[in-house]
Amino acid sequence: MNTSVDRVDGPLKVRGAATYPNDVDVPGLAYAAVVRSTIAAGRIARLDTRAAEDSPGVLAVLTHLNAPKLEPGPQSFLGTPPPPLQDDRIVYHGQYVAVVVAETPEQASAAARRVEAGYEAVEPRLRMDDPRAERLVNPWGMDASWGDVRAALNDAEVMVDAAYTTAENTNNPLGPFGTVAAWEGDALTVHDSTQWPVHVRATLARMFGVPEAGVRVLVPYVGGGFGTGLRVWPHVALAALAAREAGRPVKLVLTRPEMFTGVGHRTATTQRVRLGAARDGRLTAIEHESVSTLSIEGDNIEPCSSVSTGAYACPNVATSDQLVRLNIPWTSSMRAPGEAQGNFALESAMDELAHELGLDPLVLRLRNYAETHPQHGLPYSSKALRECYEAGAERFGWSRRPSQPRSTLDGDEYVGYGMAGISYFWYQAPCQAMATLRADGTAYVGSAVTDIGTGTYTVMTQLSAELLGLERDQVTFALGDTALPPGVHAGGSGLTAAAGSAVYAACRNLIQAFLDAATADPGSPLAGCALDDVTVAGGRIHRRGEPERGESYTALLAARGLAELSAHGESTPRQPQEAGMAPAGPFGARFVEVRVDPELGRLRVTRVVSAIDGGRILNEKLARSQIIGGTVGGIGMTLFEETVTDADTGRVANATFGDYLVPVNADIPDLEVIFVGGPDPFNPIGVKGVGEIGLVGMAAAIANAVFHATGRRIRSTPITIERLLM
Amino acid sequence: MTRTPDNRPHLTVTLTINGEKRELDLDARVTLLDALRDRLGLTGTKKGCDQGACGACTVMADGRRVLSCLTLAAQCEGREITTIEGLSADGALHPVQEAFVRHDAFQCGYCTPGQVMSAVCLLTEGRAGSDADIREFMSGNLCRCGAYPNIVAAIRELAGDGDA
Repeated sequence: MNTSVDRVDGPLKVRGAATYPNDVDVPGLAYAAVVRSTIAAGRIARLDTRAAEDSPGVLAVLTHLNAPKLEPGPQSFLGTPPPPLQDDRIVYHGQYVAVVVAETPEQASAAARRVEAGYEAVEPRLRMDDPRAERLVNPWGMDASWGDVRAALNDAEVMVDAAYTTAENTNNPLGPFGTVAAWEGDALTVHDSTQWPVHVRATLARMFGVPEAGVRVLVPYVGGGFGTGLRVWPHVALAALAAREAGRPVKLVLTRPEMFTGVGHRTATTQRVRLGAARDGRLTAIEHESVSTLSIEGDNIEPCSSVSTGAYACPNVATSDQLVRLNIPWTSSMRAPGEAQGNFALESAMDELAHELGLDPLVLRLRNYAETHPQHGLPYSSKALRECYEAGAERFGWSRRPSQPRSTLDGDEYVGYGMAGISYFWYQAPCQAMATLRADGTAYVGSAVTDIGTGTYTVMTQLSAELLGLERDQVTFALGDTALPPGVHAGGSGLTAAAGSAVYAACRNLIQAFLDAATADPGSPLAGCALDDVTVAGGRIHRRGEPERGESYTALLAARGLAELSAHGESTPRQPQEAGMAPAGPFGARFVEVRVDPELGRLRVTRVVSAIDGGRILNEKLARSQIIGGTVGGIGMTLFEETVTDADTGRVANATFGDYLVPVNADIPDLEVIFVGGPDPFNPIGVKGVGEIGLVGMAAAIANAVFHATGRRIRSTPITIERLLM
Repeated sequence: MTRTPDNRPHLTVTLTINGEKRELDLDARVTLLDALRDRLGLTGTKKGCDQGACGACTVMADGRRVLSCLTLAAQCEGREITTIEGLSADGALHPVQEAFVRHDAFQCGYCTPGQVMSAVCLLTEGRAGSDADIREFMSGNLCRCGAYPNIVAAIRELAGDGDA
């Protein structure tokens, strides 16, 4: 399989011809605009919608006073936002209090500004140390411990005890989230910015009390997501509600400021890591405690301390997570949830320990290398982290690094080198797919998954072609449509393994269907063959090792007068204990060079080498893009990104691209990526996910490089100018 | 100029979009971006922020880059507007578009039309002389997927061809 294929959807995207949900137009379309609360806690005391209703072009104004009752959506382990406009309670600044529908977008937004809302406000809970705030202990039952951490810390020859904080970040996919909803009776068609179309379908069907079979969700392209498309946000229901009440198809696209309050954001954390070690660098204890922010009505699975259960061989480990409920917009998944923050704390602490011990940080990590899974001792399905360290260090020239901090001055800038290791979690969920071979010899394969820019269209096309023995241009892969078999969400770096395994099953079942058809004809050279007796190539099935004894798909179909044959496939991940191995996520090592201007406090990342064990890489060009994209996100988290909440009102104070800084082209150096390792046996196609690991480790590697450059240990992200100058 | 029933300015504008004259009856508040997307069905030009900060809406006006979200449609009377749809004819790809595909200079693709328009102008203006220049002059176009190094590689390749 050629592993550096251009994106199959590339030509469409560069021509601007890919259709994103907010590009959709339908006959009779009306436009919706939202009105958001201007307090963070309390209740709506008064609403005057008359001026808005009297505005030109207005078709409907909906508030909690006139909106119909909606049922809550089905529970999802990722979190289930409640339906909007159901009562007068306000739990965060920016919560929807009304939606206005009008003939044009300008009329809708102008009328929305004329909705007058008055509030009875109470003092919002906004700080993590607010004693009034509800605290959830061990919220997911994932706290872990083995050995005796307290005793080991007491007895440790060397100890590090440090607190770290990370700021809230906002996903900010460049494509504003939007929904186009159109009803026909009880049937609903929705074009929606989502990473989980079947969950949108289930949620809207439940909320509106209509049959799920009549709801169709379409998302052939989505303008990024980075996790924010994993929930069905209130604006999705608002669009469907507005369309039903106005009796017209409705488009509701969030503005950029609304993207800061309406579709989730990454939690802030405060973490404490205590490491105990022997003089030779062997870890004797790891204790990792984390507290994260949570919205008042939200749920959000995002363990941060769990990184310390899978990183190093250590006999005494204890990890714990807590959540603090605040009057903030929903916290939810953002690329590498939990791992991004947890890895920053653990890998910074490891760097501090290396400094305490006078050891090379890389040597410290190798000395504590986990050959088997530290928590339950099972062997990994595959692990090439050692190769990541070695290949990355070699490419970077790590061994030439001066051991003393603040020892390299180049012109006006201190130069420093830092590194971090990553042991990412494994995740896979069930998925279904279908595959059809048609009389003209082409194949149509599909699953209701999404391609959020990761390359799903391309790698599934490649994989289907390989599994069916076809050329890539003979295969069309369809996604982003709930008319297709239920597909997995694009999350947890788990889509490629899940969807790829379902496509594997569908293609195998399809070949079996052809074998069944062949066996019906005793004269067929394939008669009586089982799946394992045959192989596919050049549009033909033939006996293994006997290329001349076979038949083409087209001949098999023609001989039986069939227009096509189809098959269905499902994938369900195996249970680790049953498989006798610990399913491995991706592993990685980051090596970073920074330059710090001590006069200006300016920090630049000038070189990054990432060595990644991503299992079998289906497409190296696209996998590399995933890693560099994650790296850019990690540089953003570490240098710039901080969602600032106004301390008095709870308003997000920097909800624009002018104020919430994300990396621009000039912030990013050339990024080197090396892939090591090979196919992972836990799934039939050998892959691990590489969508998130690219972000992880950047914060620690940069902070460690800043320490090496300046001698200053920064334990908070983002590492802004004022933090470097202080 | 006339007034709408709610006393807002209303006007008829003739725009030249991709060489074609289009007459539009518009609320004076309509931006060039919204006119392209909502009135003319040219959705290749993207709205990322509507505040002039992300570059997704970049089009050419008389051959120069403009942010169509900060440009009123009414300001464009008599100007030649080129959008991503007008960059190449008959489904062929412009060399910049080809280079973007070859270098995988995008992921979700949402910022891509704006990136491509900026890159075309950058090369025409002769501002792609070094990697540092490319990075600097492409910094008005945000890419949240983080394809920046590949965008630089795509432009670098074309600048190296002596087009710049």
